[in-house]
Amino acid sequence: MSVFRGNPGTLKTTHAEDSALLPTWFVRFWAAVAILVLLAAPYVLNSFWTGIVNQTFIALIGALALNLLMGTTGQISLGHAGFVGAGAFTAAALITQFDAPFGVNLLAATVVGAILGVLVGLPALRLKGLYLAVSTLAAHFVIVVAMGQYQSSVSYGAGFTMPAPSFLGWELSGERRWFYFLLPVALLTLLVHVNWLRSAFGRAWMAIHHRDVSASALGIDTARFKLLAFSASTAVTAFSGALWGYYTGFVSVEAFDIHLLIQYLAIVIIGGLGSVLGSVLGAAFVMTVPHLIARAAEGVPALKAMGASVFELQIGLFGLIMLLFILLEPRGLAGLWFRVQAYFQLWPFRFRAWER
Amino acid sequence: MSLVVVILIQASFYALLATGYVLIYRSTRVLNLAHGELMVFGAFVFYQALTMFPGSPATAVVAGLLGGALLGALVYFVVMRPLAGYPVAVGVLATIALSILLRSLITAIWSGQTRYPAELLGARAAPWDLPGGIALTPIDAAIVAAAAAALLGLPLMLQRASTGVAMRGVAENAVLAAQRGINIHAINAISWGAAGLMATLAGIFFAVKVRLGPDIWIVGLAGFAPALIGGMDSLRGVALGALIVATAEVLASRYIAPQFALAAPFLVLLVALWIRPWGLYGSREELERV
Repeated sequence: MSVFRGNPGTLKTTHAEDSALLPTWFVRFWAAVAILVLLAAPYVLNSFWTGIVNQTFIALIGALALNLLMGTTGQISLGHAGFVGAGAFTAAALITQFDAPFGVNLLAATVVGAILGVLVGLPALRLKGLYLAVSTLAAHFVIVVAMGQYQSSVSYGAGFTMPAPSFLGWELSGERRWFYFLLPVALLTLLVHVNWLRSAFGRAWMAIHHRDVSASALGIDTARFKLLAFSASTAVTAFSGALWGYYTGFVSVEAFDIHLLIQYLAIVIIGGLGSVLGSVLGAAFVMTVPHLIARAAEGVPALKAMGASVFELQIGLFGLIMLLFILLEPRGLAGLWFRVQAYFQLWPFRFRAWER
Repeated sequence: MSLVVVILIQASFYALLATGYVLIYRSTRVLNLAHGELMVFGAFVFYQALTMFPGSPATAVVAGLLGGALLGALVYFVVMRPLAGYPVAVGVLATIALSILLRSLITAIWSGQTRYPAELLGARAAPWDLPGGIALTPIDAAIVAAAAAALLGLPLMLQRASTGVAMRGVAENAVLAAQRGINIHAINAISWGAAGLMATLAGIFFAVKVRLGPDIWIVGLAGFAPALIGGMDSLRGVALGALIVATAEVLASRYIAPQFALAAPFLVLLVALWIRPWGLYGSREELERV
């Protein structure tokens, strides 16, 4: 399960070669180019688009976590927005109560997320499919109400202003500085995620996804690994929530409603469930396309006249795109990419003989 | 005493919503998270008809019910039929996507403005004073009556009417039902249409009693809590589920804090899922301990 599928023409003779993350010089070259392009990006893009890239990084971290749970382990979770909020609120609460520093807050948010994951994951030991989805959705509402309660009791409902954090004496203010902080964080999360998937954890999670009964017959402690999947997922989610709170500089319960959940679902569904590449593509798609639409809508007077409804239309468009992907290409953008890849790799043939 | 009446009205409203969830789940094994939008759509069709024919509320109600039922059937044919046989999670995700699509269409057609259809229906009728100091408005009485009619009539229809028998057959085993010559797609579309109709009924009541706007979908969404507590495939469980949820909600908002009204149904649901995941009267399917 590597990020890049190796060229089928490459002969691998050692185990190390087979498990290499970047298997061929071709892939290494383009990975290096991608990193260089990313490093140069803030100097090419203006502040607005750098901000979009920053938001994509944070969304990517959250989307990877959701994909780990839904795509890899096959445990549907509709409580994701609540967990993002829990992370942001943990950081906000620690700042308000103890004036705790940045690193401590990120760590605390991650720990709170992990604990919440165990609590919400416990029903997953008994519930499947629909019932699990509903119990996580119920958890979402309960978490949101609890956060609203805390917010109105501490800050009289106004929300929390977050100070600009400093990382190793480097104050994170302005989009460009955030970019150079978020890029390594996102890449590191990606690496950790890919390594999880390549290790015993990932294999156990995928086995549970395919059939939990046969997974347990293979000697996998399904209860333990389901809880682990929930806990790992919500920990990373809460971490991204804390980052999000610091990045926007303001935490309020309204930001973590069902629209945020839909946004994350859109990322993993449009990108492709169970695919790391899908999370990356989906996050970029969902964070960028609304702004492109907004730019396009500025030229159309009829849309401009609708004013606030344009926002509603954008959300509706995501609904439509999600629906089309579910109906027509369940593997998402990643699936489209694999199709293009297969087309060129196999040309002039249509499919590998041993795939049918 | 008036508390009991408030709970009864709320429970009746939840029962109307929950029957829609149950009808859809029985036929297609889908938890329809777009139910709130079906409700809003039907209520808006009702409102539209009401502005066009101000003199006759009955026409408006019929138009609304028809609109909701047609949308339900349309959703089945366009979205749910191609997804037959997929894991349940896919169906849930599809209805989530559908819900935001419908919501934005509703906003695009009727704008996000809040309306009060009660004003169009003329001055609100004075409440009847019942013995015991209870005041019952006609709309509340209508909600209770409609819920009672639905809870008695729907099981009767499933028992006696040939369509109802076919619906039970499809719910029991769709493949076998198809083998025996039942047009399962027509039956499923009828189930979805009936669910859209029930949702619209609830939507019209809510619109007349409280308000109408695209944001009331959340009220419709809350209806899945009583459906699950009662058992997703059991019409019998709906009454009890609705009663439990309504009691929890009314008591929480009265004795703890009004903000808890939204969380109470879901807290009860979490407890219920933990103790008895398949609901009070539901059948135990797909639920084994691992």
